[in-house]
Amino acid sequence: MEQRTDTGGEASAFGFLTVVDSPAHGIFGGYLLVDAAGRPLEFHCTAPVKVSRAQAILYGPTLVGHLHGRQIGGALLAEGGVAPVVVLTDQEAMLQVRPHTSLPVAFVRRATAADDPAGFTVGAAHVGPTGGDGGRQAAIQDRLAELGAAVDLCEPFERIRAAIDEAQKH
Amino acid sequence: MTNRDPQRDLSPPVRSVGRAAFVLPEVAVAQGAAVAVHRPPVLRLPLAACRPVVQRVALCDAAPVVRRFRFGNPAPLPTSAVSRSPAAPTTDAFPGGDGMGPSPDAAARRRARIAPPRDVVKLEERFFYLLQPDVETALRAGRLSFPRPPFPFQLDGMAFLMPRHAAVLADEMGLGKSMQAISSIRLLVRSGEVRRVLVVCPKGLVSNWARELADWAPELVTAVIEGDPARRRWQWGLPDVPVKLANYEVLVRDQALVVELGLTFDLVVLDEAQRIKNRDSQTNRAVCGVRRRRGWALTGTPIENGTDDLLGIFEFVSPGLLDRRMTPRALGAAVSDHILRRTKDKVLTDMPPRLNRDARIELGPEQRETYRRAEEEGVLRLAGLGQEATIQHVFELVLRLKQICNFDTATGESAKLDCLAAELEEVRASGRKALVFSQWVETLGRLRGALSRFGALEYHGGMSTQARDEAIRRFKHEPRHSVLLLSYGAGAVGLNLQFSQYVFLFDRWWNPAVEDQAINRAHRIGAAGAVTVTRFLAHDTIEERIDEVLRRKRDLSETVLAQAEAPSGGGLTADDLFALFALRPPHAGARAA
Repeated sequence: MEQRTDTGGEASAFGFLTVVDSPAHGIFGGYLLVDAAGRPLEFHCTAPVKVSRAQAILYGPTLVGHLHGRQIGGALLAEGGVAPVVVLTDQEAMLQVRPHTSLPVAFVRRATAADDPAGFTVGAAHVGPTGGDGGRQAAIQDRLAELGAAVDLCEPFERIRAAIDEAQKH
Repeated sequence: MTNRDPQRDLSPPVRSVGRAAFVLPEVAVAQGAAVAVHRPPVLRLPLAACRPVVQRVALCDAAPVVRRFRFGNPAPLPTSAVSRSPAAPTTDAFPGGDGMGPSPDAAARRRARIAPPRDVVKLEERFFYLLQPDVETALRAGRLSFPRPPFPFQLDGMAFLMPRHAAVLADEMGLGKSMQAISSIRLLVRSGEVRRVLVVCPKGLVSNWARELADWAPELVTAVIEGDPARRRWQWGLPDVPVKLANYEVLVRDQALVVELGLTFDLVVLDEAQRIKNRDSQTNRAVCGVRRRRGWALTGTPIENGTDDLLGIFEFVSPGLLDRRMTPRALGAAVSDHILRRTKDKVLTDMPPRLNRDARIELGPEQRETYRRAEEEGVLRLAGLGQEATIQHVFELVLRLKQICNFDTATGESAKLDCLAAELEEVRASGRKALVFSQWVETLGRLRGALSRFGALEYHGGMSTQARDEAIRRFKHEPRHSVLLLSYGAGAVGLNLQFSQYVFLFDRWWNPAVEDQAINRAHRIGAAGAVTVTRFLAHDTIEERIDEVLRRKRDLSETVLAQAEAPSGGGLTADDLFALFALRPPHAGARAA
């Protein structure tokens, strides 16, 4: 599904994309779309993906990027019904999804003193470069600052993990 | 013989036999082994049948199955239902940030997450709750201001209430049950999940609730249902008023009207819900008759006398969930997901301490003599009644003796009053405030006269609501009033008197839970310092014997709420009452109080 990034207008959605590695089941992917108040709009999660021995050997060091980015991330982003301003992920390997989506994807983590100067800080979180030109990143930064006034940008990943834990129990 | 160059001629050697030319070149024989060695081996390879086997390794690169969940967020309330009229100075819910979102401290704190209740079974619905922002985030997102930042345990209480359609918030008195309920209502109204809320409370607490609503949810329009029937009819029917506030008596009177108007509430909140513990009472029936989607009960004493109390409350909260035949353990298991109870010692470790002391009063000679005669005559009379003696007879004697412990009915002497007056001198000298509780309005009247030099004010059920509110106002704001005299009935619930540092229980109530409620008027959130509680006990009298019985029963609520096997009953039984006078009841086991 081709999605158009929404960096203007009143209604805004923000995407949060991550994976949960379950030793018992495999790797689950989760994609949460929230509104500007942090309330959930959509949630998409994958069935667990198991890594075969052959994949591990043949993909070698590129395996994680392939699994997270192309296989899981690509599948999840294709399912989104609304186009978010930006997709944030707490998994660096998930940035490999960029070639498979038109959405801007950025890596987010707790702000530290050694953060990438190419990114920016929102509250207690540091957001890495979003890709694209400087004007686009500036617009995304403004919108994330609005969301970050209420929501800790690292917090929605906790919700995704809780939901995936619940799905495993269900 | 022909010489052959073995290096060049590798044809087979020829030998002559007989006359025929059969020449066997000797050199060839000699060199046969060498030729054999140099002969290249001939390999016959079956090329056509030897294709390599291709192993296909499935990398499973197909996209994984994705499950989709979409959540429809309800539309918020129309602007006519909310107003911007903050009644009290407000503050950001969570100060300390830098204006750019949650501070690092806030990010590191444990979050008050909304968890799905146990009775929500569909995965999509469980996801709806699990994926909601934590309460702190929701408050920030709504840009809600509060008179003061909520405590973390209060955020937990809101996270408990918000997803539940059936909930009992049973926090110990003074932990802010009403604030937690109001803030939860505020968030649910803001999100559009509820639009019509009814709050029901005791009559004496209506103005208190109206104040709390104005403080904690200033933007919510609230209608107090009161006045004559025509006015009440109009108030019940008001559209676009998210919160309606009524007292129990009004609801009992208007229960037919509520049905006639076809009112359905998204949420009904009962304050001091122990008022409906009796399932056969008119109040219980009136409350249970209100059509509602959610029911919350607030009570610090869900079990006052016995487990039957819970049945009455749950008849409203979750009809049919409990059964009278259930064991206490089964009862505890059934309600565990619906009840949240916290105690001060667990959640407010930094709250000022409560200092308890029992003042054992020695009655003066005349008061002692009056008491001795009354008890002897009373016991003799009870013994004389034999099988005709009833609980009522015992009650009458107990009440008479307790009154003599307060004031000598013959001379007016009171050892307790003398002691209290001495204590109050110190209270007044230090500029502090004191609450004095008694069972009897008449006692309060006598105390007021005797304690006029301390500016004593009264607060009891015999006064109008306006007079009671005025007494509270004067006691709070006028320094010359050092003492407020309250009856247990009117003053034990709902009042916020945390500016008082001393509590005196002039006489004892039958139930320790009610005494705790009284004490917690002062010992609650916002208390400026330690609260000293003095319980007067006339030495070697009925008061000491009652105290002993109450001590044995004090832990009942905690026992049942912890799902342990509970004693058979918590109130004073007929056995208990007769035993106060070393008598045996004619019909054992009857519940007396």
